[in-house]
Amino acid sequence: MRAPQTTEVTLNLRADPAFLPLATAFVEKGAGAFGMGGPEALALTLAAEEIFAYLCHVAAPGKEVCMRCRSGGYYVDQEFVFQAQDFNMRAFNLTASASFDDEAGEEETGLLIASRMVDRFQFFQEETGLRLILTKERSYPSLSDLPVPDSKPLPEFTVRPPDADELKIFVRLVNGNYPSHTIPMSFALPGKVVDMMACGELHAAIAVDKVGHIGGGVVWRWEGTQLVEFYGPYVFNQPAESEMAQVLTDHCIGAIARTDAGGLINRYPTPELPTAYFEPLGSLTLHQRNGDALETVAYYRDLAEDLGLSVWAHSSIQAFLTSQYQRLVFAREIRPVTEEGESASPFSVISAELDRGPGRVTLRPIWWGSNAEETLRAYVQTLLREELPNIFFQMDLGRSWHCHFTPALMKCGFEPRLLLPYAGKGDLVIFQYKAGGKS
Amino acid sequence: MSTCSLEKLLPEYIKRFEAYVPSKPDSELIKLYGCSRLHRLNNNENPLGPPPAAAQVLQSFPPPRAAVYPSGDAFYLRNKLADKFNKNPEQFLVGNGANEVISFVIKAFCEQGDNIITADKTFAVYEWVAQFSGFEAKLVPLKDYTFDEQGMLDQIDERTKILFLCNPNNPTGTYWNSEKLRRFLDAIDGRRIVVVDEAYCEFVEADDYPDGMSLIEEYPNLVIFRTFSKMYGLAGLRIGYLAGQLQLVDAIRRTCIVYSVNVLAQEAALAAVAEDDHVIRTRQLVREVKAFLREELTRLRLPFISGEGNFVMVKLPMSDTLAYRKLMTHGVMVRTMTGFRFPNHIRITVAKMDAMEALIDGLGKILR
Repeated sequence: MRAPQTTEVTLNLRADPAFLPLATAFVEKGAGAFGMGGPEALALTLAAEEIFAYLCHVAAPGKEVCMRCRSGGYYVDQEFVFQAQDFNMRAFNLTASASFDDEAGEEETGLLIASRMVDRFQFFQEETGLRLILTKERSYPSLSDLPVPDSKPLPEFTVRPPDADELKIFVRLVNGNYPSHTIPMSFALPGKVVDMMACGELHAAIAVDKVGHIGGGVVWRWEGTQLVEFYGPYVFNQPAESEMAQVLTDHCIGAIARTDAGGLINRYPTPELPTAYFEPLGSLTLHQRNGDALETVAYYRDLAEDLGLSVWAHSSIQAFLTSQYQRLVFAREIRPVTEEGESASPFSVISAELDRGPGRVTLRPIWWGSNAEETLRAYVQTLLREELPNIFFQMDLGRSWHCHFTPALMKCGFEPRLLLPYAGKGDLVIFQYKAGGKS
Repeated sequence: MSTCSLEKLLPEYIKRFEAYVPSKPDSELIKLYGCSRLHRLNNNENPLGPPPAAAQVLQSFPPPRAAVYPSGDAFYLRNKLADKFNKNPEQFLVGNGANEVISFVIKAFCEQGDNIITADKTFAVYEWVAQFSGFEAKLVPLKDYTFDEQGMLDQIDERTKILFLCNPNNPTGTYWNSEKLRRFLDAIDGRRIVVVDEAYCEFVEADDYPDGMSLIEEYPNLVIFRTFSKMYGLAGLRIGYLAGQLQLVDAIRRTCIVYSVNVLAQEAALAAVAEDDHVIRTRQLVREVKAFLREELTRLRLPFISGEGNFVMVKLPMSDTLAYRKLMTHGVMVRTMTGFRFPNHIRITVAKMDAMEALIDGLGKILR
């Protein structure tokens, strides 16, 4: 069968229980047409069914709903756009549990099921309404036990993108030669890496000689619209005087120099990173399973001339930001975020991206609510129980509502560690849970 | 629910394209970076400004004339250029800066599936205009900081329409001499359009630098770009032009936007064309200041590439974008070269000595 050229299908309907079979069939058939396997398509369908039912009965009965099913190559997104006065996202927290004590608790159970059926979700409040995106990834086999390919010094090499089979060999070489904290999470699944590269979500370049021996490589991917995250450079068994790492870095910079990327960051550098190309942003502490703590310096470079920016910030991190902006020489106007008695949603929602290899979790705000401290504490307890000691919280200073999480973060034992320029709508601050699992 | 789906409306090649963000006005930058003044050394402008005759035109321009449309095709300026270069006025097309005439040429010759060829590390606008117009830009790596003649020829395929050469090259200042340019044009043999961008030609002092204008009559596929933004100090008015054989220019004229060049720009350029003394004075300043820069950069142990043109490219032991920010706090604005695919390099416009001294002072401080 010819691969479909369409990457998106849309269904407009009303939130009426009569349309529930149509909505579920749309998701199931759409995900299937986009190449998703049966179990994953079914999981996404069940999640969509719960969301649609919730809209019909609770959040938006009778109102128009736009459902959009979109292929991202290695994943399928199911998007809902609707207008609702109140859509309770509380159940989407990893820490939420089912409650059958009252009617509201029962209604939320469907949302809780939906959130657990998918790999990740995003929620946006926009002028046209609320937008909820559920994402389910295709299933891939883990890295097999095949031996790590041999590598040898390459006196001469060129740098170019790998084909699919070279990419899988490169993934094995990286996994076999470097510690897990320097490797992208996706490298645990070689097939996923190939699909990510095919759909343009991941980019790679390898250093090869004339007969195709791979001597090294570099990987990069976009984080949002302005920041590119860069992994490596990885160099396998090359002599100390080799310029391969620098050539790979040059290649990566050259490839993105005339795109709209504003910055290039390497948070988990290899020892081969040519540091003169970058500015040290600061460090994060990675607590390892053997109890050791590893300080990893994050390196950054602007790709364009800094035009200055206004950012939002809570007063409790003003001193941190001022010192970082001065040290890094970034022109910024800091605008204060205040709380002056205005009403707020009672519930906050946070998403969690888990990387079990190095025991790393990134929390991101989805929705601000006045129970932020309670939500955060619950997350910390859950993650520590799961033996995930490296807990980070990512705050976008371009979104004022993100900054309302600051007091709760500080009370829960987080501290600002890293400033990532232009990494979100504005700059990002990475908070780290400082106890690192020792409390 | 009425929504506008830009994702659906935008062509793929526009989605991929970067919108160029120009720098903020000086007053905004001074406030952001906390400096007391700003030396702009980023755009290769002429520190002497426009020639005296052009300055006189600007000073005496009667405001009521702003209410009247300009000549739609820069009639008098084309006649003046024809006199200067001994050509027919119809052999010239004037545009709103050289950037506009790049678009004229690409629009005239390229259709879906076509490509252009240029270097990877050169003026970005050839590549940008091609890409946002939906055409492939094949990029050939520089060889020894110079356009690679054979590399460009090797990249030609049946869909190649235009080859762009920047001579001298911005930002390296390297150039093809007459022999090399002729050899290249002979190899192309009229089968593709060759554009030679001579934006900086008036700064060149090398004897073997080719005069593209004189080659036009020999090569019917040759287009020459020139500008009033650099040597003639009229960058703020946006005016440039192209020249070629009659038949070729007639073809490009079909895509040309008329009335895009304002009256003040046309009249200032008209006055500037014959100002040879201005060229001599500017060259002298550039020569002297480059000698100063070479000496000072050597003292600071900074490798540099100083070819033809009113600019020097410097290699730094740090990220160029970090250097930019640090130099801004000292009131010096340079051009970072990451966007030109020269990471860790900056390009410095040759300017008056006070600005050059501020630059050297700033470089000394940020390198400590």
